[in-house]
Amino acid sequence: MTTKNLDKEALQAKFAEKFPKAEAIGEPAEGAAPTNLKGYLTMKLAASSDIIPVLRWLKDDLGFSYLDMATAIDWKGPVELDGYIREPNPNVFLPDGATPQVAQPLPHKTVNYRDAFELVYLVSNLEARLKVCLKFDIPRDGGSVETAIPVHRGADWREREIFDLFGITFTGHPNLIKILTPDFLIGHPLRKDYKHIKDRFDD
Amino acid sequence: MTESATEEKKPKLKSDQMFVNLGPQHPSTHGVLRIGLTIEGEIIVKAEPDIGYLHRGTEKLAEIRGYHHCVVISDRWDYLNAMGNNMVFCMATEKLMGVEIPERAQHLRVLMLELNRIASHLLFFGTYGIDLGAFTAFLHAFREREMVLDLFEKVCGARMTYNYIRLAGVMKDLPKDWLNECQEFLTFFKERLVDYDTLLSFNPIFLDRTKKVGIVSAKDALDWGWSGPNLRASGVDYDMRKFEPYSSYDKYEFEVPLGKDGSCWDRYYCRVREMHQSVRIIEQVLGGLPEGPTLGRGVAKVPKAKPGEAYAAIEGARGDLGILLVSDGNSSPYRLHVRAPSFVNLQILQEMLVGQKMSDVIAILGSIDIVLGEVDR
Repeated sequence: MTTKNLDKEALQAKFAEKFPKAEAIGEPAEGAAPTNLKGYLTMKLAASSDIIPVLRWLKDDLGFSYLDMATAIDWKGPVELDGYIREPNPNVFLPDGATPQVAQPLPHKTVNYRDAFELVYLVSNLEARLKVCLKFDIPRDGGSVETAIPVHRGADWREREIFDLFGITFTGHPNLIKILTPDFLIGHPLRKDYKHIKDRFDD
Repeated sequence: MTESATEEKKPKLKSDQMFVNLGPQHPSTHGVLRIGLTIEGEIIVKAEPDIGYLHRGTEKLAEIRGYHHCVVISDRWDYLNAMGNNMVFCMATEKLMGVEIPERAQHLRVLMLELNRIASHLLFFGTYGIDLGAFTAFLHAFREREMVLDLFEKVCGARMTYNYIRLAGVMKDLPKDWLNECQEFLTFFKERLVDYDTLLSFNPIFLDRTKKVGIVSAKDALDWGWSGPNLRASGVDYDMRKFEPYSSYDKYEFEVPLGKDGSCWDRYYCRVREMHQSVRIIEQVLGGLPEGPTLGRGVAKVPKAKPGEAYAAIEGARGDLGILLVSDGNSSPYRLHVRAPSFVNLQILQEMLVGQKMSDVIAILGSIDIVLGEVDR
């Protein structure tokens, strides 16, 4: 079956037919921050258990055979500066004793901060030149997702990366171990509440 | 690789297994990559790539740095294609900020990206020859690469980490007489491209070592998320310049070179042919470079992006380089994710190396053309 003529609207209609619970993220309500990926069809899945059926359906029936990107976002709120051990941008012209001018990021009132990780998958249909973004929330404490390896073999390292940097576990992953950070590093650095513990390399 | 193909490659004679560390300081790993190989005689039965030696946590660093600082950080991901990194970060940020980029800046960006692609592929061409024992090609490639780097140095003052493509445009206009120098380089380089084929591409020894080695089918390549020349060598037509034309790529004529069977030689030759196409694009840019400003207005010294999410992707020298940028209205990104092509391309090694001969490991690894700065970020 060729999917060459598939476009955003047709894909959204197919989603409504097959997975009615998944909603397309459109323009935000008045005063709220947009949460769709600009320019791409963005689908918010109802539950984390939906991701594998959706990925498989997209791949087998609609030709979305390429997993472009998979990552996570921590929506806890702006990161705190005391999580870092060094000043972000040391100002060498600052006189001795003056307070360093490092701006603490402040929460924005229109952004929907919540106690959740948001997983973002981007899959492509190379024939139709179309990309679709899939999103869903999982709880920050002990959240886990089913691995996408049976559908896209290339999800392997990207899931390991998410596990390493966020601490999200992927059930069924054959080799879920640290990938980027060193073995002695404690914690998951991209969590917004990460506090660096000094080790022998810091001094 | 299908089941039966792996079955056939299994050694007939049983021997003791041995564990061999390839790297992290092996010269042909092009950086600090370790592959834990379990071998049985000469055949590999298990391969575990181990990365992270160069991890600098750029995604974490970006959380408390301004957007202009992030452009500087981006130079350090794939240091052989730093223009591409600048470009993709700026594209994602510009999408969020909604700034207009002047026409001349768009053309200059394409010019720099293609020159950088040539420099990057030249390094691959040279070092891949060295990996397989052909030293001469390296000397030729580095002579030409140096010319490109000199051109970059004249434009922005740096040889490797350019920081030339900035938010809303480029750093500054071309210096006097630069266009002539660029034209001279192209004239020189086009003749050299012919030499490369006689020097290495159709060298019988080189062909023997690469032609039927490391074959990856189109299905496997897609499944593992390959992109760039690696994927195209397997015959899949996927190039971000055509898939989602960015900057002014839709104005130029060029072809996307495709390989046939996805062997090491196909991946190598795809890159060589891409250099021909890059020359073609650069000539078109030089022919129709519009006049005008090179830096758009509307980006503050400490810019703040409106809350929102954007994804931008370009065809880097190694493949589909993407940025997911999430802003919550602060002066630094809320979340920056780099979809690094080398990182994704590398993971296939754990399956691809199994059943191969020990001596082919370097040929396969070299043909994937990774940059560890980008793998580890």
